[in-house]
Amino acid sequence: MFDSLKTLASRVRGWFEIRQLDQEFEQELFAHLEMLKEELIRRGMPPDEAARMARMRLGGFTQLKETNRELRGLPMLETFLQDIRFSLRMLRKNPGFTAIAVLTLAFGIGANSAIFTAVDALALRALPYSSPDQLLALGARDAHHPESAEWTSAPALFDLEDRTQSFSELAGISPVWNDVVTGSANAERLETLYVSAQLFPLLGVQAEIGRTFRPEEDNRTKGSNVVLLSYGYWQRQFGGNSSALGQTLNVSGRAFTIIGILPRDFLYLGEPLAGTPSHIDLWMPLATNQLVTRGRPVRFLKVVGRMKSGVSAAQARDEIVRLGAVLAKEYPASDAALEYGVTPLSTQISGRLRPMMLLLLCAVGFVLLMACANVANLLLTMAGARGKELAVRTALGASRSRLLQQLLTESALLSGLGGAAGVVVAFAALRGLISLAPAALLQGRTVSLDTRALIFTSLAVLLSALLSGLPPALRILRADVGIGLRETGRGFSGGHHRFRSALVVTQMSLALALLVGAGLFIRGFMKLLDVNPGFDANHVATFSTQLPPTISTVAQAIALDRQILERTSQLPGVREVGAVSRLPLLGTNLSSTLWIEGRSYAPQEYPGVEYRAASAGYFPTMGIPLISGRLFDDQDDANARNVALINEAAARQYWTGQDPVGQHIKLGPNPEKQDWLTIIGVVGNVRHFGLDTQPSPEAYRPMSINALLSPIIVARTDGAPSALLPSFAAAMRSLDSSMPVYNNFSMETLVDRSVAQRRFLMTLLAGFACAALFLAAIGIYGTISQSVAQRTREMGLRMALGAQPRDVLRMILTQGMKLAVAGILIGGVSAAALTRLVRSLLFQVSPFDIGVFTIAAITLCAVALFACLAPAVRATRVDPLVALRHE
Amino acid sequence: MAADKSEILQGTLDLMVLKTLEAMGPLHGYGIARRIEQISEDALQINQGTIYASLVRLMQKGWISGAWGTSENNRKAKFYSITKSGRKQLHTEAENWERIASVIGRVLRIAERG
Repeated sequence: MFDSLKTLASRVRGWFEIRQLDQEFEQELFAHLEMLKEELIRRGMPPDEAARMARMRLGGFTQLKETNRELRGLPMLETFLQDIRFSLRMLRKNPGFTAIAVLTLAFGIGANSAIFTAVDALALRALPYSSPDQLLALGARDAHHPESAEWTSAPALFDLEDRTQSFSELAGISPVWNDVVTGSANAERLETLYVSAQLFPLLGVQAEIGRTFRPEEDNRTKGSNVVLLSYGYWQRQFGGNSSALGQTLNVSGRAFTIIGILPRDFLYLGEPLAGTPSHIDLWMPLATNQLVTRGRPVRFLKVVGRMKSGVSAAQARDEIVRLGAVLAKEYPASDAALEYGVTPLSTQISGRLRPMMLLLLCAVGFVLLMACANVANLLLTMAGARGKELAVRTALGASRSRLLQQLLTESALLSGLGGAAGVVVAFAALRGLISLAPAALLQGRTVSLDTRALIFTSLAVLLSALLSGLPPALRILRADVGIGLRETGRGFSGGHHRFRSALVVTQMSLALALLVGAGLFIRGFMKLLDVNPGFDANHVATFSTQLPPTISTVAQAIALDRQILERTSQLPGVREVGAVSRLPLLGTNLSSTLWIEGRSYAPQEYPGVEYRAASAGYFPTMGIPLISGRLFDDQDDANARNVALINEAAARQYWTGQDPVGQHIKLGPNPEKQDWLTIIGVVGNVRHFGLDTQPSPEAYRPMSINALLSPIIVARTDGAPSALLPSFAAAMRSLDSSMPVYNNFSMETLVDRSVAQRRFLMTLLAGFACAALFLAAIGIYGTISQSVAQRTREMGLRMALGAQPRDVLRMILTQGMKLAVAGILIGGVSAAALTRLVRSLLFQVSPFDIGVFTIAAITLCAVALFACLAPAVRATRVDPLVALRHE
Repeated sequence: MAADKSEILQGTLDLMVLKTLEAMGPLHGYGIARRIEQISEDALQINQGTIYASLVRLMQKGWISGAWGTSENNRKAKFYSITKSGRKQLHTEAENWERIASVIGRVLRIAERG
């Protein structure tokens, strides 16, 4: 082993001193030669013969020198450098070809790097917390509503904390809260989060300045009013001044002391923030949140835990399930139907993104394959032109592997240049991607080219070099030397028609697959936009506000609610107004148990509804139709009648075949404390959670019974809603200066946002499909052009023998279309096999949608036809006399 | 033909060069080649140039070293001498050869008798 190291070391040294060692060895050989000659002369040979004999006895100088060089230096490196120099010369001599090849590869490699970087940042990379694979998310699901999300109650969290053996820390996280910070200029409404003190140590996050919560500041239901600021908020409000520590903020009427600032790049990526564009400005101890004292029926927490070292996820899951079952037995009233489960935190965050990310990677990978095929075609053409040169080299003794090495070096060089240019493309493409992507997808993360991206780019370059260089090189080497040397040079110069055809067919099938993919998603998106959300989103503006803390009685709240509605309706351009507690597509919800008079249910099977409180004007403003009965009216308000409205879904699910109007129900966890409500009407369904979700049963109570402390106002406008948005804040301030205005949108914006992620995916796929069409067109154009150039003589002959121009046209077009059709058929079959895999991402579209497949095929045919037209026309212009003389 | 011979003799040629240098002291390339031809009584008619491959290999492994000097007839030539590790290697190789030769000898004697 040491011998080989010594040898290597001496070889490296030898490589650096090439010229000097060459000269020395030559001197040595000359000396040897002289001595040999002298010996022979001494023996009696005549000088001339001695010289000749000496030469023979010593051996060929050139060969000796070569052997010496090979043993001495790093021959592989030398030949590599030689090849590079040669390739660079070749590329410089053919600038057009080089430009096209490098641009094609740059586009392919750049697009792939950009997509990979985004996918890596959003779905692949490890979470930015300590030992992220030890982090698990826990939650309890209602067995009756398996589609609902997992939430845990505060008492359950505390019980789990006390009893668990598998977790070193557990932390609870509240839903995204809205708090109003007053004191400075205008009341600012911020997104805040109430979290257990253990959250930051659990994640391994420390305060940038100051400290995080101490355990005694978050003691079950007794908390201290301390607050952590986000870095951004600290910069905004306090100018990055560390004197912020110790100051007090008035948060929704309570005074909180600032004890620390969180790091600039800290983001909690798990739920409830996952998949939302929320950015948390204030963090407060869980114990200070009002829901902490509401008991077991109020499940409002997301829980995350760090496993003790040595504990496996399976063990942790088993324990949590077991503890959950114990809780169900101990507290059957509230917890009986709850099933606990655990998920790795990374899955909670990016699990739902993975199918989409994989799809994008595949699609962009196809584009790279197509780019490589184009470059392979180009290389074939180029090598074809040098057919004679290669033939001569082979005849002179160049080995196959040596020629192969050289051809591969060319493609490697092209790929390298393409990769370098590709980095620039990736940079620009990434900027475009980020600006196009919905905020909910990015979640405030930075996506930028980094080491991992560069490693990926290098791999892509390597792959491109092999894919684009190897097949043509092998093909060229297989050609016959003898033919190459002759004048006509058919064998080497640009033939290989079967290979090229194979390339074109491959490209066509890839292009078809991409077209089909894009088509399916476009179709699905169109269908999504067609979905009736249940309300009329046109000309409706919305904003949310919060009643000031000075409001202490229900009567005051209702009065202020009415004032808000009144004030809003007075704004110019507003036709009608309404208020509601939860707005569709805004992302928040409240569920409740439904009690129906005259029916009894087993404890596990209580029906549930989504609960809303709404003003009378809400339904007409939103354009929600009345199906039967009547809506809330002023009389109900004036007399505070116990009435309720339900939606079609509730009517169908719980009163199948009956008329629910007139029935009595109760809502909420404590029915014994309530009076019966009378159902006065049935309203249409709204798709509360998204256009692609099914409507859930809903029940509405009038605002006059259930005052809205955080009213969401909707206003139907005459003109464009966006014009009116700024006036709402002023209107609310005129009522009470501490009432903020937020979530200020037109309903159309909300609808748009809800489909943003699908639109994003569809746009990207459509972009790739267009790129694929373009590359395929170039591919087939190149191949058919080559073929026409090859067959010039044949054309001339045909035309001389009486063929009409249109016969020639037909012949060439048929040749091209045969390739296209073959590609389409193969592509169609492969697409059918692959689209099955993305069924989960498609909305109401079958993966085998005939319409999409047909349109894709026709489009590709048309593009191929168009691409073949120019060469075909060129073929008809061939002058038979010229052609027959040609080569 | 010459090429074939040098391939077969590569390892053994290295050995012979080492032995020559050990026995004769520092020699230049021509001198080594001449000596090998003499010893083998011209049975090994190799192209003299082939020893330079051996010399490079032996130098790379550190078993010989080279230095420029002046030859008998005042000509500049590169002289090679064996190094300490070269001597060690030579003895190890020589032992190996002896062992192989005696084993084969025994086998042949058995074959003869049988």
